[in-house]
Amino acid sequence: MKHYLLLAAFTLFTGMAFAQQPPAKKDTISSADSLLNSLSGETKAEPVMATFKSTRLILSETSETIKKNNLNFVIVHRFGDIGGNDGGGKTLWGFDNSSDIYIGFEYGLTDNLDIDFGRSKYEQLLELGLKYNFLHQTSDNSIPVALTVIGKTGLKPYSVTTNVFDDYGNRFNYFAQLVIARKFSSRFSAQISPSFVRNNLPFPFVEGNEKDFFSLSAAGRFKITKRMGIVVDYAHPFSDFRRNSDSPKFYDPSGVGIEIETGGHVFTMNFTNAEAISPMNYLSNTQSKWGKGQYRFGFTITRVFDFNPKHKGTYK
Amino acid sequence: MKYIVIILLVWFSNQAGQDTYVCKNAKISLFSKAPLEDIDATSNTGTSVLNVATGDMAFSVPIRSFTFEKSLMQEHFNENYMESDKYPNATFKGKIQEKLDVTKDGSYPVNAAGVFEVHGVKQTRTIKGTVTVSKGVVSLASTFIVACKDHNIEIPQLVFQKIAETIQIKVAASYTLYKK
Repeated sequence: MKHYLLLAAFTLFTGMAFAQQPPAKKDTISSADSLLNSLSGETKAEPVMATFKSTRLILSETSETIKKNNLNFVIVHRFGDIGGNDGGGKTLWGFDNSSDIYIGFEYGLTDNLDIDFGRSKYEQLLELGLKYNFLHQTSDNSIPVALTVIGKTGLKPYSVTTNVFDDYGNRFNYFAQLVIARKFSSRFSAQISPSFVRNNLPFPFVEGNEKDFFSLSAAGRFKITKRMGIVVDYAHPFSDFRRNSDSPKFYDPSGVGIEIETGGHVFTMNFTNAEAISPMNYLSNTQSKWGKGQYRFGFTITRVFDFNPKHKGTYK
Repeated sequence: MKYIVIILLVWFSNQAGQDTYVCKNAKISLFSKAPLEDIDATSNTGTSVLNVATGDMAFSVPIRSFTFEKSLMQEHFNENYMESDKYPNATFKGKIQEKLDVTKDGSYPVNAAGVFEVHGVKQTRTIKGTVTVSKGVVSLASTFIVACKDHNIEIPQLVFQKIAETIQIKVAASYTLYKK
């Protein structure tokens, strides 16, 4: 009797188990799916990466910093005027001249802070700076912009016959900037950057010129392909002297170009009316005008080297 | 005899709840041989669900969770190749073809047939792997190849650091019983 009971119980339960299986099967597929979704959670808000491909556009520095233990080698070149008195065929449309050359190094102290050193041909300006990306845009837009501060000190080391540099402090120039950048889509990024320039010796050294002035820059990049984009850059110094002066006459620096990324290198080829590369120089002293043919071809090459200690492969 | 009935009862009633295993820290690595330097990256935040009764399984890994030796490589991986802002996860949803017996220790070669989605492109694939049961711990390991072109991952001509056209993927997941 007991045996029959047991058998009955067994068949009953197995029967139930089998009977439940078809609907249970369907359930498990969808439940495995929903379980997976609940486990992986909602997509976390991540910091937006690569708002710009490099630390430089045409005139502006971007919100990007160099990551820890990486070295960015920067070469910027501006040729001579394409048109006007100094351009044309006799100078191969400016290629015979270089209005400015900048060689610089940017080294990542942390992932968000880098130290920069560079030298310009223009005013022989040596500059040392720090750049700190203290706020990252997030993918859920809870933080809509990236914020980066830049501080630079410039030194003009050349000798002069006048006494303007008798006070050594007159050789120093300062630059401070807040970069407000947003990656609107994977194609389009833009930034505006209020800045402050201080030249201990007003530059250019002309009667009435100010030591201090503010400036506002706007720049953007629109990618045409994954690796190539159009960049535009514009800056306006808020300076009464520069607005009112007739001789010399000042113009707002601006530029347009294309940016190509090749994995490691970023090239920018551009046209700009600004002769100088350092913001202390081009914000202070841009006297060249697009309309007079005083614009030039230029390029920027940046290359990142990674000095992180070699790791053993993680693929095990 | 009564005891046997009770044991059977308990066994059957427990059966349903003991089918689902989960893993929240699956290790997923990728490797690619490149002329200049080998590229490898690892994520330890893959999630997986495995139903040992039905064989149903699912895997998901956030693309952003892969860490590379070089930060620039990681940026290029996310920005240029995987477009992780558009396609944040890689997933596999399928079914293990073999019957699994997790009550016995051992190592079982398995084939999982299902849909593998990377870079927004779904591929129907059968992926070989091994299910190991050791002292009640169920784990799964697999190595397979993903061809970039199968998932519309473009390798541009104008790069100095060329990457290989196929990527080796290694998956290792150790499961725990899912408790509701």
